[in-house]
Amino acid sequence: MIINQLLVDLKGGSVKLTRRNFVKLVSALGASAFLTTYKSDIVAALEETKDYWHIAWLNGGACTGCTISFAQTADPDILQILTEILVGNSGMPIVLPDYMETIHLASGSLAEEFKERWKRGKDGRRILIVEGAIQDPGYCVIAGKDFREHVLDAVKYADAIIAVGQCATFGGIPAAKPNPTNAKGLADFLREEGVNKEVINLPLCPVNADQLVVTLAAVVIGAEIELDDYGRPKMFFSTNMHNDLCPYRPYYDKGQFVEVPGEGEGCKYKIGCKGPITWTDCPLRKWNNGTSYCVEAGAPCIGCSEPGWPDEFSPFYEEVSNLTSAIIDPTKLGTGIFGATLAGIGVHAVRRSLKSKKEVEENE
Amino acid sequence: MSSVVIDPVTRIEGHLRVEMRTKTLETSTGNWTVVDEAYCSGTMFRGIEIILKGRDPRDAWIITQRICGVCPAPHAEASMQAIEAAFNVKPTPLAILVRNILHGAYYIYDHIIHTYLLIGPELGVLAKYPPMVPPALGKEGIAKLSLGSSYAQALDIQRKANEIVAMWGGKFPHHQTEYPGGMAVKPTAERIAKTLSKMTEIWSWIANVMVRDFMKILEANERIGEAISTILDVDFRGLQDLGASTGNFLSYGLFPDHENYDDWLSILYSPGYRKSALINAGAWDGERKAFDLKKIEEYVRYSWYENASGLHPSEEDLPKPNKEKDEAYSWLKAPRYDKRVYEVGPLARMINTFGTKWKIPMINPVTGEDLGYFEYEVQNPQGSVIDRVAARVALTLLIATKMFDWLQEAKSYLGEKVTVKKDKVREGEGFGLWEAPRGALLHYIRVRDYRIDRYQAVVPSTWNFSPRDDFGQPGAAERALEGTWLPEMSVAKICDAIYPEKDVDLSPLGIPKKVSWGEALAPALKQLGLARLNIEKVNGSEYNTTLALLVIRSFDPCIACAVHVLRC
Repeated sequence: MIINQLLVDLKGGSVKLTRRNFVKLVSALGASAFLTTYKSDIVAALEETKDYWHIAWLNGGACTGCTISFAQTADPDILQILTEILVGNSGMPIVLPDYMETIHLASGSLAEEFKERWKRGKDGRRILIVEGAIQDPGYCVIAGKDFREHVLDAVKYADAIIAVGQCATFGGIPAAKPNPTNAKGLADFLREEGVNKEVINLPLCPVNADQLVVTLAAVVIGAEIELDDYGRPKMFFSTNMHNDLCPYRPYYDKGQFVEVPGEGEGCKYKIGCKGPITWTDCPLRKWNNGTSYCVEAGAPCIGCSEPGWPDEFSPFYEEVSNLTSAIIDPTKLGTGIFGATLAGIGVHAVRRSLKSKKEVEENE
Repeated sequence: MSSVVIDPVTRIEGHLRVEMRTKTLETSTGNWTVVDEAYCSGTMFRGIEIILKGRDPRDAWIITQRICGVCPAPHAEASMQAIEAAFNVKPTPLAILVRNILHGAYYIYDHIIHTYLLIGPELGVLAKYPPMVPPALGKEGIAKLSLGSSYAQALDIQRKANEIVAMWGGKFPHHQTEYPGGMAVKPTAERIAKTLSKMTEIWSWIANVMVRDFMKILEANERIGEAISTILDVDFRGLQDLGASTGNFLSYGLFPDHENYDDWLSILYSPGYRKSALINAGAWDGERKAFDLKKIEEYVRYSWYENASGLHPSEEDLPKPNKEKDEAYSWLKAPRYDKRVYEVGPLARMINTFGTKWKIPMINPVTGEDLGYFEYEVQNPQGSVIDRVAARVALTLLIATKMFDWLQEAKSYLGEKVTVKKDKVREGEGFGLWEAPRGALLHYIRVRDYRIDRYQAVVPSTWNFSPRDDFGQPGAAERALEGTWLPEMSVAKICDAIYPEKDVDLSPLGIPKKVSWGEALAPALKQLGLARLNIEKVNGSEYNTTLALLVIRSFDPCIACAVHVLRC
């Protein structure tokens, strides 16, 4: 297949990285393999644009999981390079944004001053990263100022805005029913406030470190990042877990399912895998330095890359075909392809349930 | 009296504001500003317990682990155990081993990241110990001055520990493989072998680097004590006289024995110790006492809630937030044990399991090389900064060593069932009692008609950073801050006051000069925009909050947890 030949070429390094093919290469390889294969090219490209970039990383209604996830990136050397470009020569082995309250050294009023330093950074060279949902006034107050104000102030200065994790993209757990604090994602919040600025959404719970590193590199290098209807980079979020990427898909087609978690081999559809309604590249990229991902470890996918999560994707152990919410309103969950996929699942599910009934009868 | 505010407190999880009212300490050497009273406020509220109502009980562990992305795994486990208690199902012995392995690796990451990234920088600076100071001069500084060498290695090691979590859990943060009655992950010889190989490197780093680094801090501590005693003309031994709380320590126990899970479950029904677990339960108040679940109550007089005060977690209603409530100053509630303030965390775990003298053998589990013992005696029975750090190092070593036993044992169970599946229950309730790295963690679930009817979590940082209770008793950290010195000088000046000698050799950097520790730090701090590190300005005076931050961070605050329904 052509795609396979492309992969061979890519892994052999015979295709050179440019800002024009950056996104294409990421799409073909997945964020993690892209970082490994093109490390030296990225470094070289970044060094060409060696310019003093500034990052502010704000935490709102968050659990800080995205910060911790970021510290798990597969390639600290890339981060080192980014760091040197972004904060001069601090040489911190992790990205040390001007402001990142979980990790940076300053506390209290000096920490607040760091936000001002970020704002004074060079025009066109300021990245704002937001972790956590935006809530109604009073539910998150930092240095006596509501988080909403912190965000509205920062977006005025930001040249690129990246929302990381489910909460900052689509509201996540805090926005789950009955959404006690009226939490929402950054893009929705900005729309409501009449701010017209593009937000790059990197969902998943938490954000995947390699996807964030690649996105930062793309922004710095100047590669154009194409976004889907939900603001997600297409290079990461345009493949269906179940149809396009799942290595366990043959089990599904054969009707071999895991029925008891942890026991036997098979597709995890029956223990609630949300792969069929989830658009992400987890099987390709995996997590924690390419170690594993939910389904490989034996668990069902819970669909944490999608808008409407968790409500439209739970009960998490319920089969997709039993999720009335998701089936009734497919427009909430994905683009046109979704309908087709879902119809497919419906047919499969029916066929399978008939089959399993028959098997049961036969066995009895 | 003035009021010194740190907001935000950084290098912690979440949003914490600390207000310190000061008083003047007059001694023969001068007038010094110290903390008189402290008030800790959690400033972010999400309402997780409200969100859980009406959901499938099996979803609770997936949602509640997102209370906190720093300590998601313990929330998952406490929640799963509560679900299992409500479902009346027990995990299989193999599942218990797998959980111990997954959570053991998680613990190693967490204690390391706290010791080096969160509290480490101040410790390294005060102890004049470059490996724990952040690597401000990059790779060159690491190579030539060892500046930040351990800090950089710690980042690498925590990443590897989390690769073990991902191997067994799919990913970290937020692993995905628990299930009522077992685990969704299949234990295989390959997973065990890969874990052993990673643990070999991690164990060796803990024994050779982390333990050594702590011993260096301990050596310097004496010097810190002498210097501060001289400056202030008070009796100050060192970091053991910084951050004392109440001397009451609560632990729920950690890492059950896979062959004796009934002992693990026993404290849900009667007072006990969980003695078969690696870490025991207990309510130490100067001596070892059995832990009694009935004695926990949550008070809300000073919290932004309208709920009734002094109730047991199983009786509490869903939180009713009221941001305008009179007297209230925090989204955190005030949990109390037997109506008194108890400290939770690594020190509580160690004291309730081993008393105040610890002797942990350091024998390389792979090579058999004997590295002697990690020995430590608790220096302040009320708890202190140095004792809390010591406990974290001791636990990291203890757990890393135990990982090899669990892995070997899991091998002998291969092929046996990992899960006895239980999907639902019509009516039921249950507690999950576990330890997050920051301390004792309780989850409670009540199921009615197959759905979650009520959910409560009483979490470690709520214990440690609680506001005052209805009796007016300050929380553990509020108490620990009392008496803390707020020097009116910069970080570099403090360093020069402790270490006046000019013996830091800069020649490896091509600067043929010897300078004092403070002189070496000052330009590095300035270059990073940190010349005014930890300084808060109040009414024209400048106070250095370094010591106060050490006290706060010694509890390893995790405020998203503490205010899962609160707001900090």
